[in-house]
Amino acid sequence: MFTAWTEALKNGHQTIDNFKLSIKQIIQPFVTVKGGLIPALHKVQKEFGFLNKESIKTLAKSFNISDAEVIDVITYYDDFKLEKQGKYIIKVCQAEACQSLGCRELWDTLRSHFQLEQDETSKDYLVTLKEVFCLGNCALSPSVMINKDVIGKANPEKILAYLSTRQNNSKND
Amino acid sequence: MTDPIKIYIPKETSACSVGSDFIAEKINLLTQEHKHISIVRNGSWGAFWLEPFVEIEINGKRTGSSYINKDISQLSSIEEFLDDFNKSKPFNILETEFIKQQTRLVFSRIGLHDPLDLDEYFNSGGYKGLEKSFEIGQQKTIDEIKKSGLNGRGGAAFPTAIKMQTVFDQEAKTKYVACNADEGDGGTFSDRLIMECDPYSLIEGMTIAAYGVGASHGYIYLRSEYPLAKYFLTEAIQILKSKNLLGKDILGKKFTFDIELRIGAGSYVCGEETAMMESIEGKRGLVRSKPPLPAIKGLFNKPTLINNVITLASLSAILMQGKDIFSQFGSGKSVGTMPFQLCGNIKQGGLIEVPFGITLNEMIYDFGAGTLNDKPVHAVQIGGPLGIYLPVHLFNTPLTVESLIDLKGSLGHGGVIVFDDSTNMTLQAKFAMDFCQKESCGKCTPCRIGSVRGVELIDKIYNGTAVKEDRILLEELCETMETTSLCAMGGMTPNPVRSIMKYFPNEMTN
Repeated sequence: MFTAWTEALKNGHQTIDNFKLSIKQIIQPFVTVKGGLIPALHKVQKEFGFLNKESIKTLAKSFNISDAEVIDVITYYDDFKLEKQGKYIIKVCQAEACQSLGCRELWDTLRSHFQLEQDETSKDYLVTLKEVFCLGNCALSPSVMINKDVIGKANPEKILAYLSTRQNNSKND
Repeated sequence: MTDPIKIYIPKETSACSVGSDFIAEKINLLTQEHKHISIVRNGSWGAFWLEPFVEIEINGKRTGSSYINKDISQLSSIEEFLDDFNKSKPFNILETEFIKQQTRLVFSRIGLHDPLDLDEYFNSGGYKGLEKSFEIGQQKTIDEIKKSGLNGRGGAAFPTAIKMQTVFDQEAKTKYVACNADEGDGGTFSDRLIMECDPYSLIEGMTIAAYGVGASHGYIYLRSEYPLAKYFLTEAIQILKSKNLLGKDILGKKFTFDIELRIGAGSYVCGEETAMMESIEGKRGLVRSKPPLPAIKGLFNKPTLINNVITLASLSAILMQGKDIFSQFGSGKSVGTMPFQLCGNIKQGGLIEVPFGITLNEMIYDFGAGTLNDKPVHAVQIGGPLGIYLPVHLFNTPLTVESLIDLKGSLGHGGVIVFDDSTNMTLQAKFAMDFCQKESCGKCTPCRIGSVRGVELIDKIYNGTAVKEDRILLEELCETMETTSLCAMGGMTPNPVRSIMKYFPNEMTN
């Protein structure tokens, strides 16, 4: 379950102790907030990309609850991840408005293009493919969300063009 | 001296989804040396088929043009852009039939200005509602809302004033106001539009509600799928805090109110009020049994007023302009205006705020101009994933809370999704069960297990392996889910399935 956590250590966190310390600092502001666990989980995931074993232990200790209780909350919510995700998280809307304009076919095309199933990440950690239900862009269906950007009237060409532009830009940075 | 020019380019999810950010970047580059030209990132008018809809204001005259499928990347000067714009036959959006046919009371500001421009908010009556509320006091504020006839716009259409009165009547030191902004229903986006295009009206409405019931702390529970709404709300809260419109002694009155923005984490059920409270408390979003009602024992066991975004934003309009602006329209549970969201396979989709009673025919043809691909309309789903599918022969039904209940459905949050005649209705029925299976919180058995069995049964029908008993079983399953589920998720999932069995019986085959 936590095989990929060592990845985070490579990102400048030399030892487990250092890693725990930096997580502790991140979640500190939320510990005194009523119901602060979910905002804390969001913050840790934003910083490290996913929630690993060490972060769960640290969260549990800080909030004075058991590891199991933290995992209990994490596993309920779709957004929280125990594994490293792709650089681009592609969410393909599969709700009714998008169904009326062919989102099922779009989903099939993207699955076969990336050779990924629901909630899978490519081996190079470039792409994670997810089905979601409603992005609130229902008058310009079908909709796809890549990280924070929504793409309306989506088709495979638009998605791939978006990704290649982003990839080129990030190479030039 | 050249006349000043304002160029409006919307910053709103739908507009951005078809390239308005790109247009804004380009125009920004072209206008670097032109001090008389300014760019305003306004909200959207909710006429989404026009997006990106760019407007230009010169000498007080404002006209716009659609930039859909238009490539401006090759333009080399702003003159070229303006020339091109003028040749595109720009028009005043307020004079289009789509907008003219509407009665925009709650959505009166969307599209007009930069949503974070507080001066513009004041100029259009902003905070007049709260001032009025302070002037007449708590009980009279609730009375005014009662007289307006406002019912909740989240889906259940419960009288807003009764909830407020219940919270107000509780003897408690701490009370909360929680805004449900977990707009998860497929085919809805009205909450998002308010949050992105007129966030102050929501916050003012929350402040009025908090003052009315005597709460000093509020939560907005926003779904994580709306990052732009998060941006606007975060900024709006900051700005209002700096202007003393949130925090201590608001408008010089001894009244304190703070708002905390909470972001959901991808769970549909968290839009159910008790699951939402669990989530705000930092737990799994499991549905709670009722009673106790949230108005008596809600968040952290304190009396809590929970309302949807549109309901709260309506309070600003009602207090500012008086109860009559709502009560003049409609009757019973269907008083005032309803923001319908026309979408799916439709030419002119968008936000349609009109009094209750409009028919689907009027909506689809007068507003929507028919299907996007010109195929015949076959069905409409109304009220989100728990809403019923209606066949063409019922498109003349006036849409009210009551008429949908009569049809064994629900108006819900006002989503209207259009499907053409290539739609496989069995797959739509299967999706209803499948959605429930994927999004059920798992607390009660009929929802958790029933939905799985439902998918299996409809799959049999789809594959042609169903026997007569399977159809009877499906009907019984629907009845069990309806009568024994803990909340509307399992309880209303049978609605779309049954409506397809009833209105499209010949299509419930393989």
